[in-house]
Amino acid sequence: MMNKKGQWIFWAGLIVVLFLYPKVFGIYYTNLFVTFAIFAVYSVSFNLLLGYTALFSFGHAMFFGVGGYGTALALERISGMSLLGALGIGLLSTIIFALILCPIVVRVTGSAFAMLHLAFGQLMYILALKLRNITGGEDGIGGFPIPPLNIPGIASISMKVPENFYYFAIAVLGASLWMMWFFTKTPFGQIQVGVRDNAMRVDYLGFKVPQTKAVVYVVAGAFAGVAGSIFTLFQNLIAADSAFSILVSFGAVINTLVGGLGSFFGPLCGAAIMQILEEVTTRYTDRVELVAGLILILVIMFAPMGFMGGVRILRAKWLAHSAPKVKMEKVS
Amino acid sequence: MDPTTAMYIAQGIHGIAYGMVLFLVASGLTLIFGMMDILNLAHAAFFMLSAYFCYQFLSMTGNFWLALLLAPVVTAFFGILMERFLLRKIHAFGLMSQLVVTVGVSLVILAAVKIFWGTESLPVKIPPILTGLVNIAGMDYPLYRLFIIGLSLVVLAIMALLLYKTRIGKIVRAAVSDPNMVNALGINIPLVFTFVFGVGTWLAGVAGVAIAPILTVFPGLEAQMGMDAFVVVITGGFGSLAGAFIVSMIFGLLSSYGVQFVSTLAPVLMFAFMAIVLAIRPVGLFGERE
Repeated sequence: MMNKKGQWIFWAGLIVVLFLYPKVFGIYYTNLFVTFAIFAVYSVSFNLLLGYTALFSFGHAMFFGVGGYGTALALERISGMSLLGALGIGLLSTIIFALILCPIVVRVTGSAFAMLHLAFGQLMYILALKLRNITGGEDGIGGFPIPPLNIPGIASISMKVPENFYYFAIAVLGASLWMMWFFTKTPFGQIQVGVRDNAMRVDYLGFKVPQTKAVVYVVAGAFAGVAGSIFTLFQNLIAADSAFSILVSFGAVINTLVGGLGSFFGPLCGAAIMQILEEVTTRYTDRVELVAGLILILVIMFAPMGFMGGVRILRAKWLAHSAPKVKMEKVS
Repeated sequence: MDPTTAMYIAQGIHGIAYGMVLFLVASGLTLIFGMMDILNLAHAAFFMLSAYFCYQFLSMTGNFWLALLLAPVVTAFFGILMERFLLRKIHAFGLMSQLVVTVGVSLVILAAVKIFWGTESLPVKIPPILTGLVNIAGMDYPLYRLFIIGLSLVVLAIMALLLYKTRIGKIVRAAVSDPNMVNALGINIPLVFTFVFGVGTWLAGVAGVAIAPILTVFPGLEAQMGMDAFVVVITGGFGSLAGAFIVSMIFGLLSSYGVQFVSTLAPVLMFAFMAIVLAIRPVGLFGERE
């Protein structure tokens, strides 16, 4: 394992790389990275439910979309809305939305949970299409003003400059990722894993299983909402197809599976891999669906543990190869 | 009979016809789930594929009846291929993997359909004998809708006979309740699984052909029917044929009367119904397990 010093160097190096990234790669790849970061946070929040609590939220896009629409509506309807205020409203609306669903969904598990979310996700999609006077139907809400980030007394940073927006988005999304990571390391996070492994035993130990699930559910929903809010600010547009579409829900599943289940950084790697693949395939062919479908089938057939699973196997092999004798001695 | 009543009855027939088609799709889905614990998200893709096969056979031979006979069988063949070479291999990996593989298959089917037939909607002509209106007791009914209801009832009767009066039906019902025990009794369960999967996709195929002349054939068919069928299966209870039937009928009527009274919110009615049912009974109306 890395020691304390190594960790500091790693974090410092990461921050320097993230800081220099837009200066080195230019605007196109900067925007690509923001997209990746948004879907990484979204997928990690999905995995918080699936990998850590075994709740398969098959309509995760609804949180993403509610956060996005919340932010967009705040900026469109309320004049003089600040950037962080809009972000906060997006977050708040997702939390309220998750709280409304909680009483129904915490009582079911397994495929019923998955199907319920598939259905609710689709319901939100239809509502977004049909409630035209609020959501703008197929066209969605776009062209709303994006206020600058005001730090009182110090500066007002315009978000119209892609580079500035990059730093803002990376800061928010990075903080979200760190908070989710921290969340899984708390004692509460351990109960959550306990619920996944053996809900009945956790119940006997005196912890409340439905309430635990509810908290995780709201937290996961909230971070998906943050991802949706940033996405909306990034695109300056939110529409039913980009927010609530079933493909957005599948995106989280695909990223998680390709990256590897049951590991915190798996979905992150998955999001990166899928982003790169999409970038490459759209350059050569417009049959993105076909490629995505084939990748899904091939991953499940030949690498069911995903990318992180492959890494783990390779590392185990390497460790076994490099230090077999030490292990033997320790055992005897 | 005054025009208002006539309109209500006409809407009712539309609703029942749609409910019947919905049931054909949902019954395959729920049968496959009840027996194999597989949620086949590609089910609606097979439904769409069959509609395309129907169009293809019709344009090749000009005979609707031949298309009605052949298209579902060819679809079932593809379904069997998928079960044999994909789903059987990943059965041990659990629910997630199955869902994702079936999504993958449906994406591939969608892409293939777009490559072979394009994206525009293709018309399917009803044979002349089924067009027009039929007069029963002073009321005009669209003949084709009645034909759909009749066809579905015939298929339903065949299914019921197969399930409750034959040896293979007995095996299937036993396998729904405990596949391992049936396997231990010396019955080739993987073969039975393949058979059930084939029958399920065949049912979806029949529904696809039946709906083709009404909605025309286009790539959006999958999304349109798939979601409805899933909601039916969830609300009726996983693996329950009776639940699927009743909920299909309710949804058919809800959607046809819903369009009339609250046209913009008609699709929401179905989900609202589902939410109420699930809030009271999380396993669905007739479901026995999670």
